[in-house]
Parts: sequence; C-alpha cells; structure tokens
Amino acid sequence: MMAAQALRPLILICDDELPLRELIKAVLGDRYEYLEAEDADQADAVLDRFDPEAIVLDVMLPGRSGIEFLTELRERRRERPIPVVVVSAWQSQQDAQAALGAGANAFVGKPFDPKELADVVETLIAA
Amino acid sequence: MLSRRLSLRSVVGRVIAVTAVGAAAIGATLGLFFAANTRLKEANADSVRAARVSAAAFDVRGKITELGSAIRGVVASPDRASIARWRRAESAWEPSLETLARAAATSEDQEQRTEALRFEIRLYVTDYGDPLVRIAQLSPAAARSSDANTEGSRRLQQILDHTDGVAQSAAVEAAQRSADASRLAHQATVAGIVALVLTPVLLILLGIWLARLVAEPLRQTVEAASAVAAGNFDVRLPERRRDEFGSLARAFNAMTQSLATSRRELIERAESLEQSERHKSELITMVSHEVRTPLASVLGFTRLLLERDVSEAERRRYLEIVDSEATRLAGLVSDFLDARLIEEGQFALRREPFDLGALVREQAELTLAHDDAHELALQLPDEPLSVEGDRARLTQVVGNVLSNAVKYSPGGGTITVGARASAGVARVWVADEGDGIPPEHREQLFEPFYRGGAAAAGIPGTGLGLAVSRRIVEAHEGHIGFDPLERGTRFWFDVPLYAGNGNGR
Ligand SMILES: Nc1ncnc2c1ncn2[C@@H]1O[C@H](COP(=O)(O)OP(=O)(O)O)[C@@H](O)[C@H]1O
Ligand SMILES: [Mg+2]
Repeated sequence: MMAAQALRPLILICDDELPLRELIKAVLGDRYEYLEAEDADQADAVLDRFDPEAIVLDVMLPGRSGIEFLTELRERRRERPIPVVVVSAWQSQQDAQAALGAGANAFVGKPFDPKELADVVETLIAA
Repeated sequence: MLSRRLSLRSVVGRVIAVTAVGAAAIGATLGLFFAANTRLKEANADSVRAARVSAAAFDVRGKITELGSAIRGVVASPDRASIARWRRAESAWEPSLETLARAAATSEDQEQRTEALRFEIRLYVTDYGDPLVRIAQLSPAAARSSDANTEGSRRLQQILDHTDGVAQSAAVEAAQRSADASRLAHQATVAGIVALVLTPVLLILLGIWLARLVAEPLRQTVEAASAVAAGNFDVRLPERRRDEFGSLARAFNAMTQSLATSRRELIERAESLEQSERHKSELITMVSHEVRTPLASVLGFTRLLLERDVSEAERRRYLEIVDSEATRLAGLVSDFLDARLIEEGQFALRREPFDLGALVREQAELTLAHDDAHELALQLPDEPLSVEGDRARLTQVVGNVLSNAVKYSPGGGTITVGARASAGVARVWVADEGDGIPPEHREQLFEPFYRGGAAAAGIPGTGLGLAVSRRIVEAHEGHIGFDPLERGTRFWFDVPLYAGNGNGR
C-alpha cells in the first residue's frame, strides 16, 4: 500500500476556486497524488517542501497571477523544469500566448473537456 | 453692450474733444489776425478822413479869414465893392463848414465841436459882422473907432482856434486808432508766431497721447490674442480702463474665461468618458470571471458524469457541487436583474407589517450556521421590532450586509448583529472585525459594480450588493451607511417603524 502510494505521481493544483480544484482532481482521477494551493504564495510554499511531477495552474489568482508565478518559477529553476499546464476561464488567444510565452507546456481553456485535460497531464508526465 | 453716447471716457470722445480744442485755438489765432487786419484798415480809413478833415478845416479857415478881411475892408471903406465882398464871404463859409462837419462826423465830440463852430461863426456874422457893416454904412468913422474891431479880431482868432481844434481832434483820434491797430497787429503777430511754434509741439504731444491711448492697449490686445490662439487661455487684459479698451478687455477676458471653462469641461468629459470606458471593461472582466468560474465547474462536472462511470458517493458529491455552483450563477443573474430593475426605477415595494428583529436573527443564524471562523453576537430587543416594509427586499439587504461581513473578514472574528428602535426608526447594524475599508474606497462603495480593493484581493463578488441595498433602503424612506471601526467596519441601515400599533417605541 505504501509502495503503491509512493509510486503515484505528485501533482500540484493551484486554483483559488475550491469547486474547480475538486473538478480537476475528479478529472485526473486517483492515479495521482494531489497538493493544493489557493494562490501563488501558497504554491511557492508547497514547492519549497515538495517536488511535484506537474503543476496545473490557474491564471486568475488573487494577488500574483498565474502567469507571474510561472515566469518567476521558470527563472528560479532552470534545470529539470516542472511541466506546467495552464488552465484558464479565459479562453482568449491572448491568454494562451501569454501562458506559453511564460513557459507553460500546455494550455487548456475552461470549461475543459475532462478527457483532454487528463490526456495532456498524462503525456507531460510520461515525457 | 457698448454705450452709444459719446463721453470723455471713450477714446472717440477724447479724440474729438482734443481735436475740437485744437481747432478752437487755430480759429482764435485766425480771428485775432482778422480783427487786427480790420483795425488796420479802419485806422487807414481814419487817417484818410483826418487828412480830409484837416483839408476841410484849412478851407474853413480860409473862409473865416476872408470873413475877417471882408469886414475889415467894409470898415475901411464901406463902398459897394467891399460890401459885396462881405456878402460873398457871408454866404461862402457855410458850405465849407458843412464839408468839414461831414468829414469830421466820426464821434459825438467832433459833431459837437463842428456844431459849436457853426454857431460861433453864425454868431460872429449876425451879432458882429452884420451890425458893424450897418454901422459902417451909417457912420464909417464910428465903425472905425469902435472897440468892436478889437472884439472882432479876438472872436475871429477864437473861431480859428476852434477850427484848428476840430482838425487836431481828428488827427489825434486817427493816431489813437492807428496805435490801437498796430498794437493789435503786434499781438496777432506774436500769437501767430506762438501758434506756429506750438502747433508742431502740440501735434507731437497729440501723437504720443494717441499712441498711449490707442497703440499701447492695441499692442496688449494683439499679444493676448496671439497667446489665446496659441492655446493659453489664462491670459487676461487689464480691465481698469473706462473707455472702449476697457470694454474690449472685459469682453476679451470673458471670452478667454469661457474658452478655458469649455476646454476644462471638454477635458473632464473626455476623462469621465475614459473612466467609464475603463469601468466598462473592468465590468466585462468581472462579469466574465464571475460567470465563467461557476459555469466551468457546472460544465466540467456534468461532462465528467456523462463520460465516466463513477461511484454513487462520487456522483452525489459532484451533483452537490453542480447544484451549489448553479445556485451561485442564479444568484449572480438575480443580482444583475435587480441592479437593472432598480437602475431603471421599475421597482415596487410590497409593504406589510412584520418583525424586523426576527428577520435579522433568522438571517444571521442562517449565514453563520456553517461558518466556524466567525463568532456571532446578537444584540436584539426582547419585544418585536415592527416595521412596515417589503420583507423579501429587506431580507436581501440584511443578507447582503451579513455576507459582506463574512466575506471581508477572512481572518474570522466576532460578527456583531443588532437591531433597535430609536427616534421613530428601526436601526439594524452588522459589525465585523475584518480589514476595514481604506479611506480612498469609502466614497464610491454604494456605486454599482464598485468593489474597492476586493477584486484585487481575489474575493468573489459583483459590487452590486450595496448598490442594490441602498436603493431598497431608500425606497423605504430609510438610510444606509457605515462606520469604520478600530478593527473592521460597522454597516447599518434605518427604516421607519410601523405606526399602526403600539409596538414602535
Ligand atoms: N464589511 C465590509 N468590510 C470591508 N469592505 C466591505 C465590506 N462590505 C463591503 N465592502 C466593500 O464594498 C464593496 C462593495 O460591496 P458590495 O456592493 O456588497 O459588492 P461585493 O461584495 O459583491 O463586492 C466590496 O467589494 C468591498 O470592497
Ligand atoms: Mg457583497
């Protein structure tokens, strides 16, 4: 049981809305272990102690935005970059570009297709 | 409006006045010349007349001398020839004297003199000459011896002297006139020379004066107008002059002022347009965020349920989330509808008497039922607090204020909820121990969509709650407001007590 748990990849979900965190967890299923953060500061605090396999990041966060958080993260950790999927209720082209420009590995617009998000995360972790 | 009356205050009036004074001075100088010329002519005529008078006097003198000689001839030998000579002389003096009288008739004095002379001569002829002739005819010796001869010579001499007097007077008069005339001519000459010297000086002074009067203010006006053309609407002309330039300056200043005002208004309007544009885009951002987030949950969980086989427990939990997020959406929609309804003024109250205290207690307990972070402290009267109002709408107000108190004190603390009757109104208050409202946000808090620092802090909301609450309270003829506390904020509102029964203290 312990061994099985340790094998499950760790994923950080950073979103200020509880229902959306719940949704992401439900979509990705129990193949993964989850860490949760409501804003960028909490996410930084989590990253100090854990080393997740991937991050699912919202753009509209209270305080520092997801894009700002991502930019800083990429600057701080140049080797072994953590794969980041940006999810946003902002489906605009602009947001996608900003996310990818800041170093996101993928962009999924909300409301998202459950299968699409699950596939993207799986591909990123497998790579 | 410019006054049409000419006054010495106006430029035109002053220029006309100065020109008139100059013209009068020139006219006076010319008049002096004219008068001098006339006097000189008169003096000329006088000396001609004086010459005529002295010629006539000389003639009269001859005639009188002839009278004397004729009478002496008669006395010496009173024959026919001498008597005839006397008769001739007797009738010859009068026409000559007449000529003299006419020539000398320049003044009353002269007229009197010639008249006296005529009388004297006539007297000499009638009282002395004729009687002596008669005596000589009767007795030549008596005539010769008579004292009358001496008397006759004396009288004759006197007549001659008087005749000379007439001529002399005429000469004196003429001399006098000519002296007058030359004095006047001298004065006219002096005045002319003075005028000749002064005129250019005066013209130069007039030019300088006109320049001061017209050119200087004109230059100022041109400068100011150029400044205005360059966009500087702060220039002002001095208004203290009381002439046309004063009016011009006042009109000009009024113009620049109204230009400045309209420019300021335009800038303000542009700024407020810009601000409302900004507001609008903020609003769109807010609405899309507020709507999309719950919608994303609803859609996501629905698809998940449709695509996957999930356990009964999971299905239930997902549906619960869908339900609560859909309810949140419904709340948003009804907020927007309320805001529009109230904004458009189509908003009727369904009034009924009810206990506001009970309503406040219910809402407070409901809101804080599942909230572990906050303590609830109720300060409610024991007896019912009767108001006549729209129960549903006032429930909305209490709910808004309560949910704000919870939302804006994320650190928890006590939420104090109270109600009390005072001075004809029922007052309700809700105090929290949150971060309070910074002064810069206080003024606009009741504006629709205004959220102060809440959006930046990531606290969900639409900025409509307080705006809608204020409309509802004001529709009840009440007031709503807030007091910043040392820690947190106390929101309150008043609505009139129900007057229909004795419960309202
Ligand atoms: N109790 C409170 N403490 C601090 N700020 C408050 C409180 N109540 C309201 N506010 C401020 O007033 C704004 C407007 O409130 P409201 O109209 O209810 O809109 P919303 O709560 O949807 O933002 C809020 O966004 C918040 O900034
Ligand atoms: Mg609110």
